[in-house]
Amino acid sequence: MKIIKKTLFYLILVAAALSFIYPFIWMMMASLAPEQEIGKLVIFPSEFTFDNYVSMFSKIPIGRALFNSLFVSTINTGLTLVFASMVGYALSRMRFRGRNTIFFIIIFTMSLPFQITLIPNYITMVKLHWVDTYLSLTVPFMITAFAILMFRQAFKGLPQALIDAARIDGCGELRIVFTILWPNIKPTIITVGILAFMASWNEVIWPLIVIREEQLMTLPQLVTLFVVGGRAESQLGVKLASAVFLATPVIIAYLFFQKHFIQSMASTGLKE
Amino acid sequence: MANVKLVNIIKSYDGKTDVVKNVSFEIRDKEFVVLVGPSGCGKSTILRMIAGLEDITSGDLYIDNKRVNDLLPKDRDIAMVFQNYALYPHMTVYQNMAFGLKIKRIPRKEIDRRVRRAADILEISYLLDRKPKAMSGGQRQRVAIGRAIVRDPKVFLFDEPLSNLDAKLRVQMRVEMQKLHKKLQVTIIYVTHDQTEAMTLGNRIVVLKDGKIMQIGAPMELYNTPDNMFVAGFIGSPPINFIHGEIRKKEALVFTDTGMEINLGLLHNEAINNYVNKKIVLGIRPENIHHIPHDKSSRFAKISITISAVEQMGNEMLVYANLDKLQMIARLPSDSTLEADQLTELYFDTPKILLFDPENGNVIK
Ligand SMILES: Nc1ncnc2c1ncn2[C@@H]1O[C@H](COP(=O)(O)OP(=O)(O)OP(=O)(O)O)[C@@H](O)[C@H]1O
Ligand SMILES: [Mg+2]
Repeated sequence: MKIIKKTLFYLILVAAALSFIYPFIWMMMASLAPEQEIGKLVIFPSEFTFDNYVSMFSKIPIGRALFNSLFVSTINTGLTLVFASMVGYALSRMRFRGRNTIFFIIIFTMSLPFQITLIPNYITMVKLHWVDTYLSLTVPFMITAFAILMFRQAFKGLPQALIDAARIDGCGELRIVFTILWPNIKPTIITVGILAFMASWNEVIWPLIVIREEQLMTLPQLVTLFVVGGRAESQLGVKLASAVFLATPVIIAYLFFQKHFIQSMASTGLKE
Repeated sequence: MANVKLVNIIKSYDGKTDVVKNVSFEIRDKEFVVLVGPSGCGKSTILRMIAGLEDITSGDLYIDNKRVNDLLPKDRDIAMVFQNYALYPHMTVYQNMAFGLKIKRIPRKEIDRRVRRAADILEISYLLDRKPKAMSGGQRQRVAIGRAIVRDPKVFLFDEPLSNLDAKLRVQMRVEMQKLHKKLQVTIIYVTHDQTEAMTLGNRIVVLKDGKIMQIGAPMELYNTPDNMFVAGFIGSPPINFIHGEIRKKEALVFTDTGMEINLGLLHNEAINNYVNKKIVLGIRPENIHHIPHDKSSRFAKISITISAVEQMGNEMLVYANLDKLQMIARLPSDSTLEADQLTELYFDTPKILLFDPENGNVIK
């Protein structure tokens, strides 16, 4: 009875896993297949070819887009970690007038849908002459309310004596945050880092609005324009190739950080 | 080394209520001073103001005769040991001790010399490569003390350093604290809520209550001549017995209460003449109550009383007795032949009696 139950359980799991992974495998294989065979929806094509990839590289600057995405996401992640931990520290550990008011305003901004801020932010970018520069892709993403919240909670959980001891040892506030407290909140740093990186990496709407020059486009932006716009000349293979190119870095990152990924997804909902 | 002077120090966290109320005292060079008092009386707050971890709302603080109100903790030349040790969890013992010196840009060789010397003094050389997580409470506390020693400070501040240790280790560390003070010849300010620690460690004790100083003095001074009921009740274990009653003038002045009458003629206390026919509180320590009087003189005042419980400790016997609503503890030799529910006579050693004014709690003398 127990064995039957278990077998059934695993069968369902395997079926579910297959149904998730099948389209993905198909996409990879199809991107390597000759154009005529893609429509047949088979897994193994009669021959493998890199034509689709060659054609993609010649049509769009996708290498440059990959660099742009990596560059922008890395900067955004790094700065978010630095700035959000500084603000989170101040909000949790320093006593000053209006501390709670500031915190509630920050929390409140989380409830604003991004559509509301989209146009005002765009107008700001135009006025600053930041359209079509890296600045428009990075500066607005250097800190997030969510990251501040996470760091504030993490710092709140550390004992005050740790900070006191560091002060007596001669640490300034910045050194306290980065050399004393940071090593003790590694899970939070990894969680915030992963989420900030993913958010930045997956962002499409914003780049579409502020970047028009192809050389500065991010990977998702360029691929979206390529697939949805007319550039692929309705060749399915090239579109699939660009989709694979878009997905690959995320998959590699996932394999590396698998454990933390799941942890960060699971913990964000639960923590206070 | 240095002295520490507090002059009219006031602290308020919220700007409305003062948690430290106009406190002044001086700690002399190389003195071991203990701040003691019940939870929430402001001991830690005072210590943290001396350390520079809290702002001083008003008043002046001097270390080594220099006003330090506005100096950062690192510039005050102090070291502090915390109740929960506050070691940096991600650093080894060596790094923990060396960290402050590194920030001060002291040469590596000198750091190494100081860390090894401190480790030697505290006998923790074998722990230098461990992380705090892999150590016992006692070991952590030694490391925390080591971290203070390497700074070579003018003043050591301890905030309940032993209260997270188990009873046996606490006794052992208490002795080591004394040795350490002798060896290092430094000024120490030590906070505790445990009167035993205060009595055994301090050259002088500062007793605090609700942010006010109740009395400052050497341990035996506080024990034998407390200024008020609070100090009398706080110092000493088991605690002093308080008996409420009245002063009457008979052939001599007597203290009366339901069921007892004690001749106070032997007290040589002029001030009690002002309390005739008034309410008064009599205080007597458990060891000044006897079962068998030393002699037949009027020095030993007899009272009849019912024993409610007996605690045989081996080296002594604690006897709980009831007189009407009144509860009393006496500390008698362990071979005393007393048992519960027995009606017996106990003797107060009258010259050792303390008298207090119930209105303000102050001693009458
Ligand atoms: N950061 C703070 N903000 C506001 N009030 C505080 C703060 N720290 C302490 N207090 C208050 O100040 C008073 C004195 O606190 P303190 O910590 O000095 O007491 P303590 O004598 O050290 O007590 P314990 O034996 O429990 O450590 C208490 O009433 C406490 O509630
Ligand atoms: Mg305290």
